[in-house]
Amino acid sequence: MKRENPFLTAAALLAGLLFLFPVLYSIWISLQTVDAYYAGQASFTLGNYARAVNDFNFGRYLVNSLLVSGLVTLLGISLATMAAFAFARFTFPGGNFLFGATVATLMIPSHISLIPNYLTLAKAGLLDTYAGLILPAVSNGFAAFFLRQYIRGIPKSLDEAAYMDGATPLKVLWRIIVPLSRPAIASMALYIFMTEWNSYIWPLIAVGKEDLFTLQIGLARLYRINPGEGLVDWPLVMAASTVTILPVLLGFLLVERHLVRGITLGAVK
Amino acid sequence: MMTRIFTPYLLVAPLMIFIAVFTYIPIVMSLDLSFRQWNFLSPDMPFVGLRNYEQLIASSDFWNSLRVTALFTVLSVPLRLALAVFAASYLVRESAPSRILRGALFLPAVTSTVSIGVVFSWVFSTDYGMVNALLAHVGLAKVQWLQDPHLALWVLIFVNTWKQLGYDVVIYIAGLQAIPQDLYDAASIDGGKRLHVFRRVTFPLVMPTTYFLLVISVIEAFQVFTIVNVMTKGGPAGATDMLVNLLFEIGFVLFDIGRGSALAVLLFVLLVFLAFLKSRIIGRKVHYEA
Repeated sequence: MKRENPFLTAAALLAGLLFLFPVLYSIWISLQTVDAYYAGQASFTLGNYARAVNDFNFGRYLVNSLLVSGLVTLLGISLATMAAFAFARFTFPGGNFLFGATVATLMIPSHISLIPNYLTLAKAGLLDTYAGLILPAVSNGFAAFFLRQYIRGIPKSLDEAAYMDGATPLKVLWRIIVPLSRPAIASMALYIFMTEWNSYIWPLIAVGKEDLFTLQIGLARLYRINPGEGLVDWPLVMAASTVTILPVLLGFLLVERHLVRGITLGAVK
Repeated sequence: MMTRIFTPYLLVAPLMIFIAVFTYIPIVMSLDLSFRQWNFLSPDMPFVGLRNYEQLIASSDFWNSLRVTALFTVLSVPLRLALAVFAASYLVRESAPSRILRGALFLPAVTSTVSIGVVFSWVFSTDYGMVNALLAHVGLAKVQWLQDPHLALWVLIFVNTWKQLGYDVVIYIAGLQAIPQDLYDAASIDGGKRLHVFRRVTFPLVMPTTYFLLVISVIEAFQVFTIVNVMTKGGPAGATDMLVNLLFEIGFVLFDIGRGSALAVLLFVLLVFLAFLKSRIIGRKVHYEA
């Protein structure tokens, strides 16, 4: 290993902090009292978080976001893994066509489905429900494609040995493919979760009931309704924004490397 | 093998049903709705032929949105790619400083766009914003960043670049790492200056990555919505009224389902054309043989 130059490391750290300064400073603002903020003084309070949760329902939005993103991830990764297993290990009439149709969804811009999906869910009575938030986000062509490539790299002799022992395809999937694909499944699950966590336009359209707001919708509205006689109540807004960022931020710091690997593999392929 | 013939169909069926219902059938529905007049409430939805398209093309809103979106794309995409390839060429080496900077650059790419929009609304706000505070320090007057039609789009371009840069950098680094090290060694033995090496070795060899990013970011720029919705709502005076924002207004504020669908179809055709261009270009000779 080469020895690092501590001066360069410190400079990089400083440059990184400078780049992220707006976000870091927004967290600082979230810890100020409103009066001190507008008087230009420094203070410390957690009261803005308490107000965001107690007066503006952000606890509920947080639970909604966790629930919706969690279920989308669970369903999405299950469907993608099953399909990827079929595409990687079976040759069947129509298989190439269906795989092509799955990959082609990557090129289909999502805005085209906004109005139709709204109508479909209205007809099914699912607007303003959790199901309405979740169902349109479940299919993920990229995850299916990515996992199929990964599964193809697993030696087929492992499957065949299991079939010899009388295992069913589902058992092979569950006992051999899934455990051996764990890193790929983990990075795709993470990718789906983050995408859904940050999703905005669909929840904006599909949900009008305040009880079902996700953090993104709640934050955008809180900023828009401007609570605080004419002046924006920035400390409150920044507390809400911090609640919106923090879970993904923590997840990111834990698993940055996996996420980056997943994204670059998908792009370079 | 001894598996039954329908096993693979059962495995792909759930994904296929979701893809069909929420991705493919909507394309057909959009096309159908674009030929009808409907406000979501009335019991019937009469067929009106091409009238929605005609109205759209006759409206100044549509052309304004197309112009704003094209402007946003043409200004922001080259900026992003130039900054990214420059940053990536420094950060490609494995070291603690470059890992730190990569992390910092990449963080905004996974951060909520709504939060970023809110935070930068503060950064650029007229009375309490960070930028105007800095300007005041050096004795300059306040600027109405988001209320001035000539500036608002630039602010959005800046924020979008700040957010997406790290993604481009990460992809460029992956592309750069694929370049054989001996090419660099050869270039520096020949006495190549840094800039020279970059122009003659790095830039040409990273071309496939550039094409990939170019097309992805153009398609993405044409669909920018969240940041517009949070920061400007398309204003002031339509100066940031990007195409998907207009689609949202027509479809979900005015509830003109027919005209909204017509706009969706037009944008769809445009984007599929761009995606097609991508597969053509990527299929062509932009790859190098190592």
